[in-house]
Amino acid sequence: MGAFIDFFRGPWYIAVYTYREGIRKKTLIGFLILSLLVIFGASFISSYLDPTSETDIDLKLIKDICVATISIFGVLITIFISASVVPGEIENKVIYTILSKPVRRIQYLLGKFIGAQLIIIVNLLLMGVLFFAALYMRQGILPTLLLWSMLLTYFEFLIISAFTFAVSCASTSAVVPTIIGLFIYITGNLTEFLKDVQNRAGQSGKWFDDAIGWIANALYQVLPNLQNFSLKTQIINGQPNDPPTDVLIPNLMAYGTLYAVFGFLLAWVIFWRKEM
Amino acid sequence: MKRHQKWVLAGAMILILVLAAAQGRRVRHLRESEAFYRWMLAAAVNERLFQDESGQFKDKELFDRCNAGSQSLAGLAPAVAAPNEPAKDAAPANGEVSQIGQASQEYKNDPRIWALAQSSELADVRASFLKMARTRQLRFAQDIQYAEAEQSGVGLFNLFFGFRKVAANFIWIQVDRYWHQGENYRMIALMKTCTALDPHFVEAYLIGSWHLAYNVTAKMMDTPWPQRKWESRYGACVGEKEKYYYVAINFLKDGIRNNPRNYKLYFDLGFAVYKQKLKDYQNAVKYLSEAIRQPHDRWVPRQLFICQELNGQYAEALAGWEDYSRRFAETQTGQEVAPRFIKRNQGHLLEQQSEQAFAASAAASDPAEKERFRQEGLKLRGQAKDIYTVLGSTEGDGLRMRIEATELAEQKRYMEAVALLDKARWESAELWDDLSHRIMRYKAEGNLPISLSEQKEMEREKDAGLCEGIPQQERQRVLERNAKRL
Repeated sequence: MGAFIDFFRGPWYIAVYTYREGIRKKTLIGFLILSLLVIFGASFISSYLDPTSETDIDLKLIKDICVATISIFGVLITIFISASVVPGEIENKVIYTILSKPVRRIQYLLGKFIGAQLIIIVNLLLMGVLFFAALYMRQGILPTLLLWSMLLTYFEFLIISAFTFAVSCASTSAVVPTIIGLFIYITGNLTEFLKDVQNRAGQSGKWFDDAIGWIANALYQVLPNLQNFSLKTQIINGQPNDPPTDVLIPNLMAYGTLYAVFGFLLAWVIFWRKEM
Repeated sequence: MKRHQKWVLAGAMILILVLAAAQGRRVRHLRESEAFYRWMLAAAVNERLFQDESGQFKDKELFDRCNAGSQSLAGLAPAVAAPNEPAKDAAPANGEVSQIGQASQEYKNDPRIWALAQSSELADVRASFLKMARTRQLRFAQDIQYAEAEQSGVGLFNLFFGFRKVAANFIWIQVDRYWHQGENYRMIALMKTCTALDPHFVEAYLIGSWHLAYNVTAKMMDTPWPQRKWESRYGACVGEKEKYYYVAINFLKDGIRNNPRNYKLYFDLGFAVYKQKLKDYQNAVKYLSEAIRQPHDRWVPRQLFICQELNGQYAEALAGWEDYSRRFAETQTGQEVAPRFIKRNQGHLLEQQSEQAFAASAAASDPAEKERFRQEGLKLRGQAKDIYTVLGSTEGDGLRMRIEATELAEQKRYMEAVALLDKARWESAELWDDLSHRIMRYKAEGNLPISLSEQKEMEREKDAGLCEGIPQQERQRVLERNAKRL
């Protein structure tokens, strides 16, 4: 037990340091302020609608706009943080000081990854709390379904974060991992396209055409599909106790965790081979 | 890192990737099952409530296959409450509703239907569903997100990266703008786009149908029956104004198929359109009964009981109000409103029973039995009169005077009966139509002079429900109904 605690003590200090450093970044604060403004502004969207109609339509507008805002700005924050925590330290040479101490590379990497997750979680919580308050003020009841939506949003970010982090370990600047992070987000949402490719392949009967179908299917089976997390928008306006949703939520959490672990292991492999 | 550590790491990565891919398969299976489950609910609602023909689509065929394979639902299905008489759009008899159709009536059965949807029992049907949805052969799967994504890979679904609900919201703001500008036709098209983007946008269905049934038609005159035309797709005689009612009905039906567990859609269909606009109380009762089967607000059953009363289902309405007053005894409605409705329905029920007793008396051949039935009828009528007297309101007085007028008419004192009814209808406006028809009937029976406006009304009543192109069977049904009423 003592060895276990000792192993995680180092990463925890690094995580806290990463968090303190990351939370002060101006770009991140800019994204956060923008997202909070949009979430706050969503409460006034009902001014575009007929003020005499007594419906829940403004509530739906607030919910959808806030979920979309949290997703967009959350993804930007996730990518920006995950892409910059390691290259930032390589750029300012801090990494050499840390690694010269009795800290193993895996401990350093774990600390950085946990630190990035802390920043993402805190940002998500800030946006979520404002959204929660906006809904509570409108509805007068606690919007508990929002908590499930936020949880799924985080697990989506976890996948993006893990793969962006892996890419950032191979890079010396944050620009390339940020661009690749955005690419991961976009392609992760288009994984269904591979299924379409597979369905259309093999029509000419040539081996090359068949091979394309086979490759598309293999990628479709292996790559994470971020569209699965679109459930987060469905939950927020849906009915409570929906049987498929109740089953899908824990399964999506497990799905996100497994891909995040894979992404982290990939980061470790890349970082372990890095010349420093 | 040592050599064996590399192998351990590589092994761990492969293992995690395999596990993640396996979990991905599991999630995919669940999402496909979810799409299948939602389609099953939509098809079940359609079969049980609407019976809309699928046309070139293969929903019914696939749904029949689901039912053939749904052994695990045996013994789960509740009985379908049969309406008084089959309406044009009323539910089929119990035997015609499939096992899944019946089970889907209760939302408590949803976990069982979900278990069936993801089970190996229906694996073949589920695979067929996905194939059919992809090739656009299923009408009710078109609005299901996963099925839509399966249809075309990169399409509308992926275009917005899951944010199409936001797009639907902004389109709705435009719909609202068109409404205020009076551009109804543009509004309807956008409303449908809106619900295509977000089929779970319940408010769009509700407000859209309200615009169609109420606001668009607000300044239009009711189309006279001879000027209407039979529309087979609506199964009704419609004019320009009435078409909007049926567009609203179809819009709400789409909403119900996409959101079968939302009571508001059933309520608006039953109350706002069928009761308030079409005065079709039988269908109003049908959809309000569905509304109270879903998780609902407290005021929903009240409208059901009112519609049951209007539809002549006094016993059901009475039982409903009694149950309501017991459950909500502490509320103002439970203490003040419910007792009034209970009394009124007791009166209606006694009046109905007295009429049955008089009819039995007329049919009986044995004089003793005839007299026994007559006495029973008189006793029940007296009890009804007592209840209406206790009721005390203007309506209670009107109902009491209606019974007294009936007694006078039975004694051939038509002039007095007409005078009493005329007094009653001015005192209780809610009974105006009913009492006016009775006046015309007694005047006809007693050979009393009929006014010009009454003659016109009688002519109009003869044509009521008839229009150009009406099918022969429907024509016969309407003529019989009119003759009975006159």
